[in-house]
Amino acid sequence: MADVVGLLVLGIILVVLLPFLLLALIGMLWAVVYPVMLIWAVLFSGKKLDQQIVNTASREASLRKTLGRDPLTTIDGGYRTGITSCGVVWAGVVYGPSHWHLLIGWINNLVGGSVDIFQKVISAGRAEAMQRLRENALRDGWEDVINVRIDTSDMTPQGARKSIKAVEVFAYGTGVKYT
Amino acid sequence: MEQTVQGILVVNTETIPGMMITETFGVVSGSTVRAKHVGKDIFAGLKNIIGGELSQYTELLQESREEAIGRMVADAMSRGANAVVNVRFATSAITAGAAELFAYGTAVKAE
Repeated sequence: MADVVGLLVLGIILVVLLPFLLLALIGMLWAVVYPVMLIWAVLFSGKKLDQQIVNTASREASLRKTLGRDPLTTIDGGYRTGITSCGVVWAGVVYGPSHWHLLIGWINNLVGGSVDIFQKVISAGRAEAMQRLRENALRDGWEDVINVRIDTSDMTPQGARKSIKAVEVFAYGTGVKYT
Repeated sequence: MEQTVQGILVVNTETIPGMMITETFGVVSGSTVRAKHVGKDIFAGLKNIIGGELSQYTELLQESREEAIGRMVADAMSRGANAVVNVRFATSAITAGAAELFAYGTAVKAE
């Protein structure tokens, strides 16, 4: 009888402690994984960013070449005639600097002046979002996108120090078809 | 994304090309707060160390936006409109991993 009660108590304690044990496990894993990832970021994140920029630019160039023009315009399209159908089209990308870039940016911030590394990261995200807008528009069968707007919003909540550092670039417009 | 969402024409221009706006029904809006499960949050946190695109959150915002637009369109439908013009979007991060998406526009009748 005492054995059964003892096991029961032990079981209850284990069940109650389980979430904390899991948290501790994740914490320990994080302590091991984080330095490795950081070294990886120091070595490769700059290269990865450059590759991303080149990739987006080449996709954009090939699309422009096949179309002969850029399908995106920011004007309302009032001058256009012969539009037969239209509809909203959008694309968004969540893009963040690596922790190595954050460190470079922090040092750059101490010195002042333009913080080129963040500008580069956000531009890469923006170029990617605009390219996806072009691709989405063509995939949906639109010929042009008028009234394009680009929003950038922070994915990091105010005051949250230990959270992801990223921005969301969101591009949207109205796709139009002529015939 | 089709030309119309549930039979309602959605554009972000002030007018609809080739159509005449005959009646307005006021501002319609739709919002949603969505989050991904904790595994994806952890994975996104790891990916953030290396930098670059966080595709989990891109996907999250894509889904949320579709839901917000769906709610906005439902609002427009209940008012008897057949189009929503001048649509705008707003995003705000509430906590890490949960974003509020808000879509709003003007419900109109266009012929």
